[in-house]
Amino acid sequence: MMGKERILELLKKVLDRSPADQTELLYLGGRSDLTRYSRSQIHQNVSEENARLYVRVAEGKRLGVVTVNTLAEQELLRAAAQALELARRQPENPYFDGFPGPAGYEQTQTHFEATARFTPKERAEMVRKIFAQADRLGFEVSGAFSTGESEIAVLNSTGVAAYQPLTGAEITVVPVSRAGMSYADAFAHDVSQIDFDRVAAKALERCALNKDQQEVPLGQYDVILEPGCLAEVMNWLSLIAFRANAFLDGTSFLAGRLGERSMGENITIYDSVHEPEAEGLAFDLQGCPKQRVTFVERGINRGVVFDTISANQAKAKPTGHAGPPDSPYGAMPWNICLEPGDSSLEKMIASCERGLLVTRFHYLNGFLNPKQALMTGMTRYGTFLIEGRKIKQAVKNLRWTESMLRAFSNVRAISREREVFSYGGVGFAIMPALYITGFTFTGVQKEEPAG
Amino acid sequence: MDEIKGWLIAALDRLRRAGVDYADARFLDRETESITIRNEQVAALARNRDRGFGIRVLYKGSWGFAASAEPNEAEIAAIANRALEIAKASHLAQREPVRLDDSPPQVGSYRSPFARDPFAVPLDKKLELLFAAVKVLRQDKRVQMAEGAMRFFRTNKLFLSSEGAAIEQEIVESGAGIAATAVQDGEVQRRSYPNSFGGDFAAAGYEFVASLDLVGNAERTREEALALLAADPCPARRTDLIIDSSQLGLQVHESCGHPTELDRALGTEISYAGGSFLSLDKLGKFRYGSKIVNIYADATIPSSIGSFGYDDEGVKAQRYPLIKEGRFVGYLTSRETAPLIGRRSGGAMRAESWNHIPLIRMVNINLEPGEEELTLEDLIADTAEGVYVCTNKSWSIDDLRLNFQFGCELAWEIKHGKRVRPLKNPVYTGITPQFWGSCDAICDRREWRIWGLPNCGKGEPPQTMHVAHGAAPARFRDVEVGVQR
Repeated sequence: MMGKERILELLKKVLDRSPADQTELLYLGGRSDLTRYSRSQIHQNVSEENARLYVRVAEGKRLGVVTVNTLAEQELLRAAAQALELARRQPENPYFDGFPGPAGYEQTQTHFEATARFTPKERAEMVRKIFAQADRLGFEVSGAFSTGESEIAVLNSTGVAAYQPLTGAEITVVPVSRAGMSYADAFAHDVSQIDFDRVAAKALERCALNKDQQEVPLGQYDVILEPGCLAEVMNWLSLIAFRANAFLDGTSFLAGRLGERSMGENITIYDSVHEPEAEGLAFDLQGCPKQRVTFVERGINRGVVFDTISANQAKAKPTGHAGPPDSPYGAMPWNICLEPGDSSLEKMIASCERGLLVTRFHYLNGFLNPKQALMTGMTRYGTFLIEGRKIKQAVKNLRWTESMLRAFSNVRAISREREVFSYGGVGFAIMPALYITGFTFTGVQKEEPAG
Repeated sequence: MDEIKGWLIAALDRLRRAGVDYADARFLDRETESITIRNEQVAALARNRDRGFGIRVLYKGSWGFAASAEPNEAEIAAIANRALEIAKASHLAQREPVRLDDSPPQVGSYRSPFARDPFAVPLDKKLELLFAAVKVLRQDKRVQMAEGAMRFFRTNKLFLSSEGAAIEQEIVESGAGIAATAVQDGEVQRRSYPNSFGGDFAAAGYEFVASLDLVGNAERTREEALALLAADPCPARRTDLIIDSSQLGLQVHESCGHPTELDRALGTEISYAGGSFLSLDKLGKFRYGSKIVNIYADATIPSSIGSFGYDDEGVKAQRYPLIKEGRFVGYLTSRETAPLIGRRSGGAMRAESWNHIPLIRMVNINLEPGEEELTLEDLIADTAEGVYVCTNKSWSIDDLRLNFQFGCELAWEIKHGKRVRPLKNPVYTGITPQFWGSCDAICDRREWRIWGLPNCGKGEPPQTMHVAHGAAPARFRDVEVGVQR
């Protein structure tokens, strides 16, 4: 970790000597460590230190970007000169009207010393405890435990000077028995906030239930989706619907339909860095302050996220969601949240006469028909038939194919408790569990012979 | 490079003296140029440089790895020590010590062939080509989004091991593609050329991009997108299915490439990417498909992005069968995993960059062309009723690689041996061995083509790999098309 002073000092030196009209410097650096295990032994244990500098320059309305992973001042100056050369060879971007100016940021707490100081030995010892708990039940454990520390800084020639350090700790526990497997995970900026015993207990308890999986007929079922399923759905909705480019090119279901109803009255989806469960980076990768953005409010379409360029194109205001300057995706939601309800997983199960409880989804795809948010995917790590208000039986993994607009129009209950899921350490999703009626299952995981 | 090589050799010597079982070091230096045009604007254009080194240590049968972007003498020594410290931590939770195979250490070099250095081609020329293609795509106002993209990579790699391996490689890769998104009355349809999600890629220079003739293919791409706006949906039913070469390449990727990765079969990916239905007991016995199905792993094909001289464990590139006459006969392997099935590494360990450990990854995984003379038009003429699907649009497969569902950009309805009309939103689904068992015709070598996919994801932390798949169009009998609801 370089620290705020050293990073901003280095960036200032480059900024002062950049030959361009305007210059924007983005620093992403840090260390990430990950311990991976399967069959209750560590099979992969890695540590990486890296720092990437994005140099974006503007000459009039022409932009050029060069990125390097060195902090040598001469190489950074060379990168600025190369970026200017790239800018001069491009057509003007009519929607670029300069880099953003300085703004105040609300403080968010994303860095914790306990996580920054966590060692490979501590990770190994923690997972060894989980292996021992699983061993007592005759299970083996797979998964990963990562800790990391990073710094993000933006400095530009129009006055932005933003810096924030982050840490993150994430663990996944996948117990495997002879009959099946299960899953539990946790993410926190502060490793000491993770209740490892609870994560392990949840995974082990669910694994004991996942046995003798039966095949159920395909068709529509009431489903209770655990929060992890929703985190994956939201990742896809971010890509196909909630970002500026999808809105501007007309492929988002929100395009041309703001103010109209697309989901049920109990659904509110938004992007926010200030949530009780976690806080996020206070600014985007251009140094614009993060705004709370509501995508769907009580079922009504409200808006998408913008960076400065897409906001100008849409005649909207930037929302503070710029991605890396070399990304073709443009602005993206980073901290996507589904408003909680007043139910719980237990109450949902106790209110279900016949349905399916799904632990996780697997391999979603949302490109089938983005206008309807039609997606397909599989269930994974435990799918259970509920009958008579109780979990009755584990069932084989199922393929589902469903419009998320339809699904989110049929939500009967939402849990009060939400879980945090990391999107690459910087972003996150905060999701409750949902009870959805009439969810469509279209296939089953089974081995059919080649004949 | 010589100075860095000397420091890395010294670090490996120190590790050897510290009593490690094995250690290797990789230094990598990569330049990238990426251009994305969206309508009349440059949406993204950047040049990237990425360099650094990683050291992998096997200590008392446990792995440790550390990497840094600062390849100086002190940092290399510190990172070697950290890798050893991490390996010692891994040893705290070890059950079975890792043992590597006896692959001989290689000393050599490899350069991928190219005619025209893509980084030497002026940016103006590249932009001119992309804007010209986008202009043709935009000649109808219903095409609300026209995109063109190019990406170029130059990777220089150095591999050294405590066993004495010393390998230098340079690989140059180029790729490009265009796409038209047509929107009308709430309907959205997209058509891409030559492939979706960025186009096609080869281990070649700018001559590959020029050979794609993006401008010459833009009009057909646009017209097919517009035709889809008015097309009927592909009806849900069981019927015969002909799959074009690029989509079949992805089918091979998902339903053969991934399940033949031996680390998946051994369970080391089940907490993330998934496992494999091709369990060890099936090797050499299991009927994977019909007798005309032959699938090879081949890292030796010139100009393909799944090719190299040596993998990232220093094992020489190889060609060997995974599926032979429909039977499952081989896995993609590493030096650690191959001995577990009584073999030597097949050379499939690949790392995305200096800061990642190598994992078992696909190389070029190719469906061999049919032996009988058969063109695509012959195959359509031989099909009484069915659909012919083109270009991937969506993909999903379960965690054992059995139940899959693919969507394509375009389908043609086939009746009495003729294409009669386009159909939109085609989807097909099946169970891997049953599906490959229904393959009754594969077009011959004239229709065979290799497709570069630069975006195969696997591992934690996630790694993206460049892989490729050769395939000729093929027919599958009685497949579920559309989604039964």
